[in-house]
Amino acid sequence: MAHLNCSFYSPSLKKNAKITVILPTVSADDYLFHDNHPDYYCEGAKYQTLYLLHGSYGDCMDWTLLANVGRYAQEHCVAVVMPSGENSSYVDMLHGEAYLTYISEELPEFLSKIFPISKKREDTFIAGLSMGGFGTFRAALEHPERYAAAASLSGALDKTRIQNSQEAHSKKMPLNYRKAVFGENLEACGGKDDLRVVLKKRLDENASLPKLYHTIGTEDFLKDSSEDFINYAKELGVSIEYVTHPGIHDWKFWDTYIQEVLDWLPLANNMV
Amino acid sequence: MAFFETHFFSPTLCFGTDINVFIPTPNSDELLNNKSSDYFHEGTRYQVLYLLHGAFGDYTDWMRLTSIEKYAQNHKLAVIMPSASNSFYQNMKYGSDYLRYLTEELPQMCKSLFPISKKRENTFVAGLSMGGYGALKLALTKPEMYSCAVSLSGAIDAAASIAQVEAGERNAPFDYEAVFGGTHIEGTDADLFTLIKKLQAEGKPLPRIFQSIGTEDFLYPANVNARKKLETLGVDVTYEEHPGIHDWDYWDTHIQRALDWLPLVNDSVEE
Repeated sequence: MAHLNCSFYSPSLKKNAKITVILPTVSADDYLFHDNHPDYYCEGAKYQTLYLLHGSYGDCMDWTLLANVGRYAQEHCVAVVMPSGENSSYVDMLHGEAYLTYISEELPEFLSKIFPISKKREDTFIAGLSMGGFGTFRAALEHPERYAAAASLSGALDKTRIQNSQEAHSKKMPLNYRKAVFGENLEACGGKDDLRVVLKKRLDENASLPKLYHTIGTEDFLKDSSEDFINYAKELGVSIEYVTHPGIHDWKFWDTYIQEVLDWLPLANNMV
Repeated sequence: MAFFETHFFSPTLCFGTDINVFIPTPNSDELLNNKSSDYFHEGTRYQVLYLLHGAFGDYTDWMRLTSIEKYAQNHKLAVIMPSASNSFYQNMKYGSDYLRYLTEELPQMCKSLFPISKKRENTFVAGLSMGGYGALKLALTKPEMYSCAVSLSGAIDAAASIAQVEAGERNAPFDYEAVFGGTHIEGTDADLFTLIKKLQAEGKPLPRIFQSIGTEDFLYPANVNARKKLETLGVDVTYEEHPGIHDWDYWDTHIQRALDWLPLVNDSVEE
């Protein structure tokens, strides 16, 4: 497994950006015990790719520092791309950087030129935790033609309810930053960046949606608000695979259940 | 030099951020050339330069595009390179409090984690372009912390820079509403000349300033003008202009002039 810290200039963010990338390569285990390991360096072979988003107060190093994503990626032979999205909710901020464009357009196009990453929809997946769960669905609904599957872990799917919540994640977020993201009156939460609004729009356009998955801890403070979105989607005839497990909003949950997400994704467990 | 790419959570910014840090340590070059290499002791500290990037950049720029490590090694100077996005080193109206991060949280953390001097006389700040403005802005915000500030090709007359962009004369990544709360900054703390007058009225010590600009730089006229304003205000400013444009050739060359100008002892300091 190759672990890459990448730093480059991003035209859509108008500044340098950092990403962490994991590329499965010949491991010690492969070398010692698995003579039939994937032919990683075969001419023309590409990786299936999972874009994996951090939560609020986090960045591109979280998933590798706080969960065993490198090991799981190697086991499934999937490339993992972990960008940084500050606290932007991965939207195009009203005053600030265009993170949605960066995540869902610039990054896949840029990385497919640098790394042997498949550009096909069937090989491209996105997942994330908390704010990154929201960003996952936001990106998947912005570009349903790019992703075969999207998985939210403990996703903050109902932005309006969360913005008005008294919970620490909302209350301690600097207001000047939240206004930069969603506008002076946080109006974009219930407008262009409301998942309900975007979902309805895509259905009206008869878009073919990615497979969707949502998992959350039964004791998670986001459980009820995220369930509201799942139910709304169901009313519109969109089925989101929904799984709960005992647990709260923490890395123990995400380290455990990212493994179930990887099992759920249509992975080849090999180069494609 | 020991090099540390340092990643940490900033409670001021509320997200993770990075700094690149150089701490002088004896190196092979000194051994091979019989240079003095006896400066790395228990309890010693180093003079420190906070070095700021320009617009579009981040904490990696100075390392990637200049030989700053070599220059700092020659002067036995610690260097800390932070990231400030396209914030113009402000507490943004819509965005993050980068000024507060850089003048409060970062120095406090660095003084505790690294062997850098805690004294004003040993603490300096420099930067290029937006970071040239930033260097002066930091030093004028906390004049009791920094003794010298260096602007290379700096947008130190920020009001003039804003006017240039507004007139469509060049591109910039700034959302002025988000950064300053608008395009009119005269009379506010974002205007360095206003800030200087305020400090003078309060009888506070001002940092010494080194100002360098390329004669072909698009910021040249604004820098000539800024020099006049600084001198009229009675600020201790050392002004240099040299052939050159707004590029890394200029900054790689003239950061060396700036290091020669700074009151460096070229050794560790005892505190």
